[in-house]
Amino acid sequence: MEPFRTHTGRMAVLDWSDVNTDLIIPARYLKRIERIGYGPLLFADKRYVPGGAPLPDEPENAGEYDPDFPLNRPEYRGATILVVGPNFGCGSSREHAVWAVHQAGYKAVIAPVPDEGFADIFEGNSLNNGLLVAEIAESDWKNLVSLGQGSPSTEITVNLETQQVYYPADGHMAQASFSIPESARHQMLNGLDSIGITISDNGLAIDTFEKTRPAWS
Amino acid sequence: MSATLFDKVWSRHVVSQTDEATLLYIDRHLVHEVTSPQAFDGMRLANRKVRRPELTFATPDHNVPTVNQLEIRDALSRRQVETLRNNCKEFGITLLDIGSGRQGIVHVVGPELGLTLPGLTMVCGDSHTSTHGAFGALAFGIGTSEVEHVLATQTLWQGRKPKSLGVEVTGMLAPGLEPKDIILAIIRQIGTGGGTGHVMEYYGPGIRALSMEGRMTICNMSIEGGARAGMIAPDDVTFDYISSIDRQYAPRGVTLEAAIADWRTLITDDDNGFDRKIHIDASKLVPQVTWGTNPGMTVDITGVIPQPHEVPFATADDARRSLEYMGLTPGTPISEVPVDVVFIGSCTNGRIEDLRIAAKVMKGRKVAEGVQVLVVPGSEKVLAQAVAEGLDKIFSEAGAEWRQAGCSMCLAMNPDKLKPGQRSASTSNRNFEGRQGPGGRTHLVSPSMAAAAAVTGRFTDVRTLLA
Ligand code: SF4
Repeated sequence: MEPFRTHTGRMAVLDWSDVNTDLIIPARYLKRIERIGYGPLLFADKRYVPGGAPLPDEPENAGEYDPDFPLNRPEYRGATILVVGPNFGCGSSREHAVWAVHQAGYKAVIAPVPDEGFADIFEGNSLNNGLLVAEIAESDWKNLVSLGQGSPSTEITVNLETQQVYYPADGHMAQASFSIPESARHQMLNGLDSIGITISDNGLAIDTFEKTRPAWS
Repeated sequence: MSATLFDKVWSRHVVSQTDEATLLYIDRHLVHEVTSPQAFDGMRLANRKVRRPELTFATPDHNVPTVNQLEIRDALSRRQVETLRNNCKEFGITLLDIGSGRQGIVHVVGPELGLTLPGLTMVCGDSHTSTHGAFGALAFGIGTSEVEHVLATQTLWQGRKPKSLGVEVTGMLAPGLEPKDIILAIIRQIGTGGGTGHVMEYYGPGIRALSMEGRMTICNMSIEGGARAGMIAPDDVTFDYISSIDRQYAPRGVTLEAAIADWRTLITDDDNGFDRKIHIDASKLVPQVTWGTNPGMTVDITGVIPQPHEVPFATADDARRSLEYMGLTPGTPISEVPVDVVFIGSCTNGRIEDLRIAAKVMKGRKVAEGVQVLVVPGSEKVLAQAVAEGLDKIFSEAGAEWRQAGCSMCLAMNPDKLKPGQRSASTSNRNFEGRQGPGGRTHLVSPSMAAAAAVTGRFTDVRTLLA
């Protein structure tokens, strides 16, 4: 995976609560066996005008954008930071949801309230793919939502080294902290392959553990 | 020191530990066709082998048609199932294939084949892996990168250890009420994010009184409350289920006896040891029906569609979007809402007991005019058992469609789908927008409530039909 240290970019805002993975990527697209090509499928049933969602095997061949869907605001084109509501990514374990967000060009996703911003499996999947998911205090999140909706050309910075989001507020730079488990942070900062690390660092421990497993297991 | 069931199973599987992460050993890895192809690709690219193929079991379920199962017409679905077959062959994994007598929804076949046992850690690239926690296993859903990690290492990294949430269920269910009503009521109480970061343990006399099927229904939907997993301490009901002769992979004889002696220790020592606790009285429940677009948006069958500002855990805007999508007007009694389709099946309610309950309501009655009713056994074994008991005939005579095993209309990946605007009464677990087909409107209910809707054509308090 690509290392992630810090990223500066514009925001796109979708402040709905409980956005589930079926909404992020509908089940029919899960028939694909590839790991790429999911960008155009993000929010497929919301993003395109009725009938415009692409077929699973032709993701590039999509219809017009639906102007009513918040992420389709023309000012959001090229945004690389997605600001979302609480409990984002609830529902199924499909990693395709993370692939879709990431491959649509977002490098980081920001949600309100530590421990409640992202559903557990979505959060784990994101970190395994180098997509940064940051849960920040609700007051800061509200500032980002108004900033992203009111002045979408504003750039903010998400820094994994300092675990801070930096955003302009009243002529200075405000900051909002977030926290990523240390092992995941280390892996993301260095773009490491977790299987390789597990085998090299823990291969022996796994061998030893296996000798103690009960007969019935 | 006092420990919870979850603590005990967790600590038995710690391979190594750092300050903020734990490497857990995984005892069983279940695989289905949807979330595994990219993981096997990764294994091939890195030239890796599956570490413990004999602890890994696969079955096709999501894409499988329920009419003429062997003939998968959709080219992408066929390719995905074929890919699973090829991967299992290449990596030496047991495939419970269509027509083998053992195929079915991954969370139905695991327990019935004796793969699911107390005290195990179990994972699958599927969020409803929480189902297996009904046996006192620590079972949870993982993403495809993690599937690859487990295939290669038989272990999984866990960040912060989840907290525990004790759910005490007292009181017995009244006639017409089911375990599904218990879990819908719990999610309604805590919200769909209420269990995030937690493992839930269900306990108390209301849980002890339930069969394994009922316990699985409850643990299945733990993820709908946001929990990482759901667990129930094993007891004699569990041990009887595992001892049944047809649990092909379960231990036998002295090994089983030794195992049971050990499993009896898998209990929470003190329920004050939970990080959080909630309580529900099962005897006070009324049949539950979801009205909205997440499983926390639920009313009693005797209730009305809520006003947007009355909806807990949702902003008025979120609630308005749900009402609009569902085509419902606040103030309408839920019992006046008509249905187009009834779906009885899924890993929540597609087991033999669920079919028996639905058949009891439908026996001697007819499906209401204009309603399509699908009854889909969760596995080939459930299908065979139902046929042996004559349940298929009861459904067919009532005018329902008796189908073959698979995920079916739980999600729109196979030919069974709602058409835009159609409204279903469904025994599955998710009422998300488009879950059963783009534009489809899903209401989650118990099997008996689904059967009641089938014969009356609208949401109906099943207690009035049992009298
Ligand atoms: S029945 Fe539904 S919830 Fe269960 S595994 Fe299949 S698709 Fe998932």
